Amino acid sequence: MKALIVAEYTRDALEGIKAAKTLATGSTILLVFGPASTEAENLSGLVDKVYTLPSRNPEAVYNALRRVYEDEKPDLILGVVSKNVKDSLSRLAGAYDLPMSTEVLEASVEDGSVKYKRGILSERAYSIEKVPMPAIILFNPRIFEPEEARPGGEVVKLDEGDTKVKQIGISKKQLSGVKLEEAEIVVGVGRGFKKKEDLKLAFELAELLGGQVGGSRPIAADFKWLPEDAWIGISGKRISPKLYIAIGISGAPQHMSAVMGSKVIVAVNKDKNAPIFKQADYGVVADLYQFLPILIKKIRERKG
Amino acid sequence: MGDIVVLLKAALNPEMVRSKPDGTLDQDAIPLKLSDIDRNAVEEAAKLKQKLGGKVIGIMVLTVGPMAKREKDLKMAVQEALAKGVDEAIVVADDRLTPGDQVQTAKIIAEVIRNSGINPSIILASEATIDETTGQIPGRVAAKLGLPYISFARSIEVADGKIIAERDLEEELEKVEAELPVVVSVTQEINQPRPPTLIQIRRAARKPQKRLGADDVKQAIGTKRVILERRIVTINRKQQIIEGSNLEEIADKLIEILEKEGVIKL
Repeated sequence: MKALIVAEYTRDALEGIKAAKTLATGSTILLVFGPASTEAENLSGLVDKVYTLPSRNPEAVYNALRRVYEDEKPDLILGVVSKNVKDSLSRLAGAYDLPMSTEVLEASVEDGSVKYKRGILSERAYSIEKVPMPAIILFNPRIFEPEEARPGGEVVKLDEGDTKVKQIGISKKQLSGVKLEEAEIVVGVGRGFKKKEDLKLAFELAELLGGQVGGSRPIAADFKWLPEDAWIGISGKRISPKLYIAIGISGAPQHMSAVMGSKVIVAVNKDKNAPIFKQADYGVVADLYQFLPILIKKIRERKG
Repeated sequence: MGDIVVLLKAALNPEMVRSKPDGTLDQDAIPLKLSDIDRNAVEEAAKLKQKLGGKVIGIMVLTVGPMAKREKDLKMAVQEALAKGVDEAIVVADDRLTPGDQVQTAKIIAEVIRNSGINPSIILASEATIDETTGQIPGRVAAKLGLPYISFARSIEVADGKIIAERDLEEELEKVEAELPVVVSVTQEINQPRPPTLIQIRRAARKPQKRLGADDVKQAIGTKRVILERRIVTINRKQQIIEGSNLEEIADKLIEILEKEGVIKL
């Protein structure tokens, strides 16, 4: 069997290679583009061949993918979900009528087919499906442990081909740089907070516990009281810390499904009927403005 | 301006998930609704039409039956799109279609666009739907029609046969430019959909609707994806409310519980 791994980021390339080696034996080919293309040499010892494309324009990636697909005829095309990977592979899927699945949680290969599991309906349900190969499977990040990079293999440079969509500008987003998905303790803030300055209560609690602060959609995406990368939700970050403390969050499905992987969930809300209490391990029915200062004081006392 | 096409989906409503006693998903009992971000795509289409003219054509493919049960929800979803700015709807629905198979859905959409006398200047779609959420249909359709594709657009500006869009990437905002025709997938940030007025709602009922079935899109049928199992995710949380005579006592109890759970160390 032949697997083609497609990656925009180095970490995703390393996870993708691990995925390919876990799923099946056979040859592995890697296509790295954009930021990961600078690491092509360093990764080349892990696979049979590396194709590299400096551009991250998904149209250029699609052009390159078509050529590689024709030349290599892979059975399985693997990757980790990122926006440009999804974009370019959805076009390849359309051009060759290949089945494609994204945000995959687990997969296995058997008799010319690939079987996989993924969340559906805002993660309220999961679906196990089977498609014949060749097929495209994009995993959620952090499903596979990354391989250790190893140089020493063959690297083939690709060119962009003809592109009709041109980049005319790029700007960095205002981000906190905090990796919520890697934090062991996360304090989540919601609309129970009346103004931006009040979030300092949550930051104080998070700091005392060695955790990070994230927010629900209204806080991070609508009011922009927190940077965009601190948004917890299906369209934001999905987190699975040891402890998630949701403060002033009602428990909308788009938020809750993104925190479902948490080991322990604590909810603080003054509305005893808030749906979050049904989805939490421990609930405190209280006004956050009264409860948080007391909780912070108590933790401080115990820490001494 | 040629036609403004919007891809629509009457999607399974994740807020009304139903299951059978054994935990398998009771998909037939889950109602459909117009997928959330489709509203943003329709709003953007209506704004484009206001500025540049043209006709807004909505294409909806429904593969999740049984159709006999779906008629009411389907009608509501189509009406909503028509009330919010779609001028004409083409609906493909048939029990003979394979539920949710994206290879098939993209083929159907491309076939409808090619065979219905549509001359698209722009094809708008949402970045993902609320039920399957794979976000692959617009890219597939672009490749099938040989059109340029701009994904994850959070703003677009169309003038003089050109589009300038801002793509929302993980860490950057990327500004891109292309000539029309083009396929664009939009994010929820692109606009605030306006609720339709009473007049719009009344007019919607009189707007043209075309209904197609499997026989009209024969080329597209021939499926690949097989669904083996669908189950609901059960939430097993303790749901324990911490009680106490005052907040001090509750705070103490909470800290002790969390230490016992081993999730905090003080």
